Amino acid sequence: MIIVNNLTKVFHQQNGEELYAVNDLSFTADKGEIVVLLGVNGAGKTTAMRMLSTVLQPTAGTATLEGYDLKKDPQNVRANLGFLSGDTGLYARLTARETITYFARLYDVPENKIDARINEMADLLDMHDFLDKKIDFLSTGMKQKVSIARSIIHDPPIMIFDEPTAGLDILTAKNIISFIHKCKEDGKCVLFSTHIMREAERIADKIVMIHQGKVLAQGSWENFKKDTGLHDLDDIFIHYVNNITKEDV
Amino acid sequence: MNLKKIFVIYKKEMLDLVRDRRTIITAFVLPIILYPLLMIGISSMMSRQEMKLEQQELVIYLNDTIHDETSRELIESLSQIETLQIMDEAIVYNEGTYLDLLQDKSIQALINIEDSLSSSGYRIFNITCFYDETSEKSSMAYRKIKDNLRDLEEVLISKRLEKIKINSEILNAVEIKKENIAPPEQMVGFVVGKFLPYLLIMLTISGASVIASDLIAGEKERGTLETILVSAARRDELVIGKYLTIITISIITVLLNLLSMYLSFRHIFMQTGTNIGDFQLPIGNFVLILLLMLPLITLFSAILLSISTYSRNIKEAQSYQMPLLFGAIMLSMVSFLPGFELNIGFALIPIVNFSLLMRDIMMNNFQLSYLFIVIGSTLVLDVITVYISIKLFHSENVLFRTAEEKSLKFWGKNKKDVLNIQFIMVYFVIMIIALYYIGGSWQLKDMMNGLIKTQLLIILLPVIMILRISKADIKKTLRLNYTNPINFLLVLIAALPLLLLSGILGQIINHIFPVSEAYLEILQNLITVQQEGLWFTIFVVGILPGVCEEVMFRGFILNALRKKGVWYGIILTAVLFGAFHLDPFRFLPATLLGIWLGYLAVKTNSLFVPVLAHFLQNSLAILITNYAENFSFIKLIIRDDEIAYWVVIPSVIILYFVVKGLSTLNPKTFATVEEQDLANGDKD
Repeated sequence: MIIVNNLTKVFHQQNGEELYAVNDLSFTADKGEIVVLLGVNGAGKTTAMRMLSTVLQPTAGTATLEGYDLKKDPQNVRANLGFLSGDTGLYARLTARETITYFARLYDVPENKIDARINEMADLLDMHDFLDKKIDFLSTGMKQKVSIARSIIHDPPIMIFDEPTAGLDILTAKNIISFIHKCKEDGKCVLFSTHIMREAERIADKIVMIHQGKVLAQGSWENFKKDTGLHDLDDIFIHYVNNITKEDV
Repeated sequence: MNLKKIFVIYKKEMLDLVRDRRTIITAFVLPIILYPLLMIGISSMMSRQEMKLEQQELVIYLNDTIHDETSRELIESLSQIETLQIMDEAIVYNEGTYLDLLQDKSIQALINIEDSLSSSGYRIFNITCFYDETSEKSSMAYRKIKDNLRDLEEVLISKRLEKIKINSEILNAVEIKKENIAPPEQMVGFVVGKFLPYLLIMLTISGASVIASDLIAGEKERGTLETILVSAARRDELVIGKYLTIITISIITVLLNLLSMYLSFRHIFMQTGTNIGDFQLPIGNFVLILLLMLPLITLFSAILLSISTYSRNIKEAQSYQMPLLFGAIMLSMVSFLPGFELNIGFALIPIVNFSLLMRDIMMNNFQLSYLFIVIGSTLVLDVITVYISIKLFHSENVLFRTAEEKSLKFWGKNKKDVLNIQFIMVYFVIMIIALYYIGGSWQLKDMMNGLIKTQLLIILLPVIMILRISKADIKKTLRLNYTNPINFLLVLIAALPLLLLSGILGQIINHIFPVSEAYLEILQNLITVQQEGLWFTIFVVGILPGVCEEVMFRGFILNALRKKGVWYGIILTAVLFGAFHLDPFRFLPATLLGIWLGYLAVKTNSLFVPVLAHFLQNSLAILITNYAENFSFIKLIIRDDEIAYWVVIPSVIILYFVVKGLSTLNPKTFATVEEQDLANGDKD
């Protein structure tokens, strides 16, 4: 489970100005729940996810993942976390098996369980055929499967997906979406970011809309419809963005 | 840190690298095939070339202006040389035409034979040999002619002596015999020791640089860095694992290079029939050098690792590696230079220390204490550099640096963008080049006149021009502000203590790195009153630098650099000020003086204060050097051109109170012009 409290990230720009990439973000994500961070490009989704995966340090606020505090216990946070993004690369010269084994060891999966775990992954994602081929020779779809296997090899209770379908063709993207559903079935807590409204609409249990680092609104898709009287998520999103700009004036 | 994790990372990196064709080629294949190819190729080409040269027909022209028995004897002797073909005697000696023939290589030498009489009436043959030093064939012809004529000279001398009945043995008054007592190993050590350090340092860097750039910058480029950052591995474990990988590959590269080099040498010696026993390398020393390579390799690996961490991609890492490579090559070349002996000072300078120590070890002539100092100082640097790498690896700004951040924007539309750090750096580099070439040549022509031109045209003028063009407010930018007169009094009090302290620092540096007398004389000349008189010298060496250099450094440069923090600005400006003196021995004293001047500028918010302080420093130096005898109290402090060390204590105490006075007098400091405006209630 993820509990985010007033998470804030300020970047100091070269012209001396401060940029609030994430401004006072708070939400929770429960076991077996898919929470979608929805926002346009540059809204602060990636920065938020990088903070939650302990790659970036929050300027203010914090979050706990499976009870571990981001700032105090980053090591345990990462150990309980699987992270996958659309543009993560793989080591071209290693085979799929070597890649997954490497990450299994980094995540302290016991040595005698690694092979069994890889087999399990290969069954699940149908990757037996190319397990011992070098990544360089794999297709985009195959690579994506290796990335998925790599991110979940230690069976983490929390999965974070940062725009995982960006730039992927529809078939590969479908793999990922079905994998996300599988995570939910397994009782994992899933955090997912996207700028594609339809995608959010389809899989989210809860949507957190963010814009310019700030939360516009959060709740289920049904709630949004009720609150705004609108039926299209695009319209709903624009409605909230307009709301906030009106407030500013 | 978890050792098992480090090993997992190390193993993966090694596997990844060993599968990389580029690594295999540069680190393993190249050394194995390079040396045999190079040595065998060069040696066979050289011997073939030499054989060809030996056997080549050399054509020469002879111009005999005497035509008697002796001159014919001379020509006869020359014609005895095999492969030398003498063309028919020229009828007229015409320098122009024959020199043309020589130049277009149709003949290899032109010999002109004349004779004259010595003052005591003996006949002398004046033989002029025209040849072309840049042509191998022509030089060969000259050598053969010279050797032949030397032999002939001996014959002629003994004939003359015989005539007057003197035994030619009378000429052997002194006989010099050469007996080299150096054992063969030491001779080999002497020869090999000169180039080996340079070669090893080159090899280490070239082997490590390719993989180092790939290891972190490459991961950034391929987008794999984030995946390992979110894994359960700690960042220091990642850095150390990668660090060990670079070290391993470097060691393998160096070993392969050395082995291949040794085998190729052996092969050539055996082929040319040289007894390999005579050329046995002193093996014990060789092993010591290999062990010594370890700390050096770890240092280079750590530096390359930091560069790789800092860079956004492989290309950027490689361009950052270039200065390191050039710097290392230059420093490692000290082993070629005569007169550079390892001492405590050099033992502390990275690369230079290894270069000199390896040379000494190869010559079997080294001190154990230096060995420990060299290794110890390198390991300290090692730890610092690895620490920096880990720090960089923790820095978000470094790991997620974006492209647009680094774009060079010199002349932005925004007024405050104009004089940014990048601009200052480019400006500074141009200035230092101008100072070296233009200022240097002016000063060579006429010292005093050159100094005046340098100060006004190279140091002052560009600043004023840049400020005018960028439409900056000159008075505000340079901080030509009114300040409390007591500040000037405090600077006056601090002047002598400061001068003494910097003099003592100079003394210490001179003890560690003794400089030549000639160099000291140049420095001394600078502050010795010239024939133009005391006031003129003070104007050129005191007032002009005080004003011009302060406008450039504490006015212009500091104004731009302090935006990133006052102390950052003061120190960076001071380092540039130190570098601007173009003299490694004066770098430290000048930098420290620069920090003091920067502190004054920031504290008092007025350029006039550092101008006065700078002027006082230079002028006091002139006064003390020239008129020390007239002041009895200075004689107490300076004896035999050495400043007494006890003056450190009163000087530091006085400076302490001056600094305290300055802080109470000027409680506020302003980082930027904007802040200053705000404080003055100026809403512009």
